[in-house]
Amino acid sequence: MRKHRICLSLLTGCLAAFAAGPITASEWGSHEGVVIEAKLIGGQQYEGLYARIADWEAATGAKVEIISKKSHFEIDKEIKSDMAAGTTDWCVGSNHSSFAPQYEGLYVDLEGLVPADVIGEFVPGNIRASTVGGELLMLPRAHFDVSVLYYLKSNYEDAERAKAFEAEYGYPLAVPDTWQQFKDQAIFFADPPNFYGTQYAGKDEAIVGRFYEMVVAEGGNFLDEDRRPIFNSEAGQRALQWFVDLYQAKAVPAGTLSYVWDELGQGFASGTVALNLDWPGWAGFFNDPESSKAAGNVGVAVQPMGSVTRTGWSGHHGFSVTNECANKEAAVSLVMFLTSEESQMAESAGGSLPTRSAVWQANVAAAESGDDAYRAEALKAFAAGAEYAFAVPPIPEWGESTNLVFPELQTAIVGDKTVKEALDDAAEAVDELMREAGYY
Amino acid sequence: MRVRSIPPWLLLLLPAFAVMAAVILLPLIFSLYSSFTPYKLTRPSTLWRWIGTFNYEKILADWKFWAAFGRTVLFLTIALNVQLVLGLIVALLVNQVTWGQRGLRTILMFPMMFSPILVGFQFKFIFNDNVGLVNNALQALGMTDVALPWLVDGKLALFSILFAEIWMSTSVFAILILAGLFAMPRDPLEAARVDGCTAWQCFRHITLPFLMPFIWIAMTIRSLDVARAYDIVQIMTGGGPARRTELLWTLMARTGYVDARMGVANAMGYVAILLSILFTIYFFHKLNAARSDLGMVV
Repeated sequence: MRKHRICLSLLTGCLAAFAAGPITASEWGSHEGVVIEAKLIGGQQYEGLYARIADWEAATGAKVEIISKKSHFEIDKEIKSDMAAGTTDWCVGSNHSSFAPQYEGLYVDLEGLVPADVIGEFVPGNIRASTVGGELLMLPRAHFDVSVLYYLKSNYEDAERAKAFEAEYGYPLAVPDTWQQFKDQAIFFADPPNFYGTQYAGKDEAIVGRFYEMVVAEGGNFLDEDRRPIFNSEAGQRALQWFVDLYQAKAVPAGTLSYVWDELGQGFASGTVALNLDWPGWAGFFNDPESSKAAGNVGVAVQPMGSVTRTGWSGHHGFSVTNECANKEAAVSLVMFLTSEESQMAESAGGSLPTRSAVWQANVAAAESGDDAYRAEALKAFAAGAEYAFAVPPIPEWGESTNLVFPELQTAIVGDKTVKEALDDAAEAVDELMREAGYY
Repeated sequence: MRVRSIPPWLLLLLPAFAVMAAVILLPLIFSLYSSFTPYKLTRPSTLWRWIGTFNYEKILADWKFWAAFGRTVLFLTIALNVQLVLGLIVALLVNQVTWGQRGLRTILMFPMMFSPILVGFQFKFIFNDNVGLVNNALQALGMTDVALPWLVDGKLALFSILFAEIWMSTSVFAILILAGLFAMPRDPLEAARVDGCTAWQCFRHITLPFLMPFIWIAMTIRSLDVARAYDIVQIMTGGGPARRTELLWTLMARTGYVDARMGVANAMGYVAILLSILFTIYFFHKLNAARSDLGMVV
């Protein structure tokens, strides 16, 4: 009788446990009643993921309160103000590999909070770029950025034009594989003010990042191992000369010096720009007839190479958990959910690049077996481009150094200074910054 | 022993003093103190490191700061003078209108109602070299076949920003000068006309001297506003390209909020205050002179 009762109790217990399974045994844990405050990057391309938060709330019983949603530049200012005011008890924040080193002491090291096998599922390069001073400060979301070359295919389908190009430059007209070819073709295609050969981001970190990758492509670097500026080398001068030549030849719109990403994307989508180095997130937009006059005429290729190598200044978005968060367990669960394989599959379906190895493979396989030739072409270019990707130096002074450098790059581009003068002045200013920061 | 009680007038004023201290005095003292520290927003502990006058020495030796300072003085001078002339003309014209003047005065105030951010975006689009209204109009009229770089060329960019600033704030001058015209006694003007003075003589020797106190007050108020020009400039050019339109406040905002170097930014702010103080002293001096010319007690 007693034995029978024990069996019954065990059976009842097992049934109860089974019935409660979807909540208590949820892979995201149970966080009933917990409210997680989050500051997230806003924008059309990021919103799809946030719609999935309701699933995490249903699974865990917790609630997510988005207390701020802005562009990353605005979020950055807000976070800095929070750090100054000591109001950092919100839990989850959007982060970016280029910004992360600035937020000293704000975010928790996720190394001990996220299982090692989960971390192992991400692309190792992305995890390295998310690690600052040995601490894993964020888990990467499916927004890995490395620029590739978008071009108007029609420019390469006109035999007369190809003949004229070859007669002028001495080599056949084909999608550019080097920065020199890119420059030649941009100048050749330009017919201002109606049509431009190319365009580039002309201010803020945007132009410095582009300059940085070209310096590396020319065999130089931005900083040496001691963080001394070395971008005023001959490689740096060749890189800056590329910007100057395109501007002086009027191959880019005169307003390009005030452009950043939105203007570039809209410019190429207007169908009036032949060659455009841009991020993967624009791929769908450029080929969508609803948003782009270039739709159906867009080709995607790996970024051109410099005189030494092919390079790609890159970055990625992610999510971090603050040290002041009252419920880190729930916050980490949310971050893991937002960067999970399912989330990355959903987010990368919109065209952005994943940061998980399995999602990369799934996307490439789907594109190869599907009938979307453009998507397959784009993914192939992104995969090739990602091989040359490198992140910015993981130091808090990176952003500030770009603010010192970009006005000097502009002075050379508009002709106020020679390339050497501008780079020497920029290097002097960055040298002073690094000295003050105590690097040497 | 009898404790002396606080006088009622002081008691009544105490809440006001407390509020003033909380919202004005304390932030001022805090920002002044932080200008002697290497305070970085992202490293709150730096607020407690005293570095003396290092920040001041650094910015006083920085040509970029002085270039922005000089550009701000130039911007201020041109904007104030053009706004004064246009405001005076508009006020004199509106004063002549006998029917619908009230409606005109309301319309006159429309630009003041727009947020400077909105005005910045509006003129950024108008002066865009590629899709902007100005270049499209010039090209459609056959006046040019190139895209004029309104927001890139140093002189054109300063002109574009000045245009936006003048469009938005000329009506402040017009309204204040119009108030002066309404307050002006009619007798001297009528007497002058009877004596055979021309319209120009009446304006030069009677209307203008009467308006001068109003003009100097408008100048003082506007100089404080224009010296803090930020929104329009930030939206239209961000101080660039190549620092060609960098004014004191765009430089300060970038240093303080983007670079997070609030200590240096506050030091810049205190040096910049000198500019406002100098302009204010000058304009008050002129105001007193104008009032004494009119026989008013100074």
